[in-house]
Amino acid sequence: MKFWILIFGLAYVGLLLLASLKSYKKGRSVEDFMLAGSSIGIILGVLTYAAALFSTFTFLGMPDFFRRHGVGAWIFLAVSDGAMVFFIVWFGYKIRRKVGELGFKGVAGMISTCYGNKWAGYTIFLTAFLFLIPYVGIQIQGIAIFMVAAFPDFIPSWGWAVLIVSVMLIYSEIGGLKAIVYSDAIQGLLLLTVLWIIGINCLNDFGGLGAMFDRVEKDNVALLSTPGPEGLFTPQFFIASMIAIVMIPVTQPQLTTRLVVMKSMKSMHLMAVAVGAFAILVITPTIFIGMYGVSFLQDTLAGLPTAQQAGTFFRETFLYRQPGMIAALALVGLIAAGLSTTNAQIFALGSELRGLLPYDEKTVLRITKIGIFIFALIALIFSELIKDQIAMLARVSFAGTALMGPMILLGILSDRKISAFIIVASFAGLVVFLLSLAGVVPSTVLGIRMDLLLFLVLSVVALGGYLTGKKVLD
Amino acid sequence: MGKEHSNTKRWRLLTALAVVLCIITFTPLVIPQGIYKPELFGIPYTLWTGFLITVALVVLTYLGTKVYHHDEEKEGGA
Repeated sequence: MKFWILIFGLAYVGLLLLASLKSYKKGRSVEDFMLAGSSIGIILGVLTYAAALFSTFTFLGMPDFFRRHGVGAWIFLAVSDGAMVFFIVWFGYKIRRKVGELGFKGVAGMISTCYGNKWAGYTIFLTAFLFLIPYVGIQIQGIAIFMVAAFPDFIPSWGWAVLIVSVMLIYSEIGGLKAIVYSDAIQGLLLLTVLWIIGINCLNDFGGLGAMFDRVEKDNVALLSTPGPEGLFTPQFFIASMIAIVMIPVTQPQLTTRLVVMKSMKSMHLMAVAVGAFAILVITPTIFIGMYGVSFLQDTLAGLPTAQQAGTFFRETFLYRQPGMIAALALVGLIAAGLSTTNAQIFALGSELRGLLPYDEKTVLRITKIGIFIFALIALIFSELIKDQIAMLARVSFAGTALMGPMILLGILSDRKISAFIIVASFAGLVVFLLSLAGVVPSTVLGIRMDLLLFLVLSVVALGGYLTGKKVLD
Repeated sequence: MGKEHSNTKRWRLLTALAVVLCIITFTPLVIPQGIYKPELFGIPYTLWTGFLITVALVVLTYLGTKVYHHDEEKEGGA
């Protein structure tokens, strides 16, 4: 396997280097560096959006979700993604029109301008920071765990984490967003290929689709329906998840940026359709991988505590039970999946920071680059603190940022002078959500999940803000 | 003007269909608790209905791109 890791690893690093050098432009402007000249075509657009969206969370988290909670995982992610791409058709048009009026220096900067209130931007930035950093951290850790499994006694997991973050910083520093987009294209294709190869291997071990579900029926029948063996997949969980996922293009700046930098409305629209198709293609093999874990790893996982089961499942399915070449490809694919999402999020945080800085272009670029470095460092530290629950952490990340959805949408859509109350309410919502995660306040109120309740309340506040706002005269 | 009007009507229809699809996903029509039959080609009920809904949403998205501001040349972008 090590031979193949070396071959695929070198090929991958070579392609990343090529992407960086191809994107490098002497004397580039901040716009070139941060927004790739806003000229991304359909194919690159699909792959960069998909790579930023489907990360380690899809690669590892989804098979684990299918393994633990069953077929409802499809509703959780695939149906929600279907709703999200439909939403992009409408939202993409609205935001691009707004960007045409105001310009684009990150979501936080733009919303500050919409409200004429810098605290709107600060609240959005704080939320992005608080919920993206842990998500980035867990991705780095996910890769590091695999590298340690592939190269035991070589360097510790934190060493791999430092290496991964360094590679990411180097190529994003050389090529800016354009390099990230090119590397995303490589990573998106790799992710899809690897998941299908391993998925088909798993399916073949069952002897086909029907045989797979027959076997799972015998092993754990609760996995074939909702709410699943642990009772996670309730209608309320699905509704809250769908809202959080549909809000991703609005509230996760790395994805909003990708809608904005598309060359034209037509390419942005086609990208939405293709991302929907990509979602179906990329999630399907994760079912086979998850079900493989249910039936073929029963004995291996039986005596382990839940927290250790996921790691063992990943190592067994992706590395130890695959031919050396496939295992090596899986490892490189995993690095690719983690890197693409990590760099997209860290870079987006830099982009958001940029929108809040009141200095000249050169100073802004310098501070943004320092900011990107610091965000990467914080994510790196965080990656050593949390070591499991990839899918749930991703969901918390989506839910946390989704709380800013009503405020952002109101800012983009409204033609009225809106009161600052929605900003205060969104900040308060963020604090309450954090307290509920910490267990200080309850996670449900009158049987309603806190994330869902907060989103509904903020939506009502946004609607009230719009109805009571004064129409701005042209 | 007439074309624009009919496109708006089509877009609203597509949106209504997408919303209905999302809503039925959360009902026992798609997620009956503890029930996994009838199966289709051996695939449990919630999975195959969920798959069809996802495909339908992507098709609606495609149709949406044909009617929702699809021919606007002058628009934003950073």
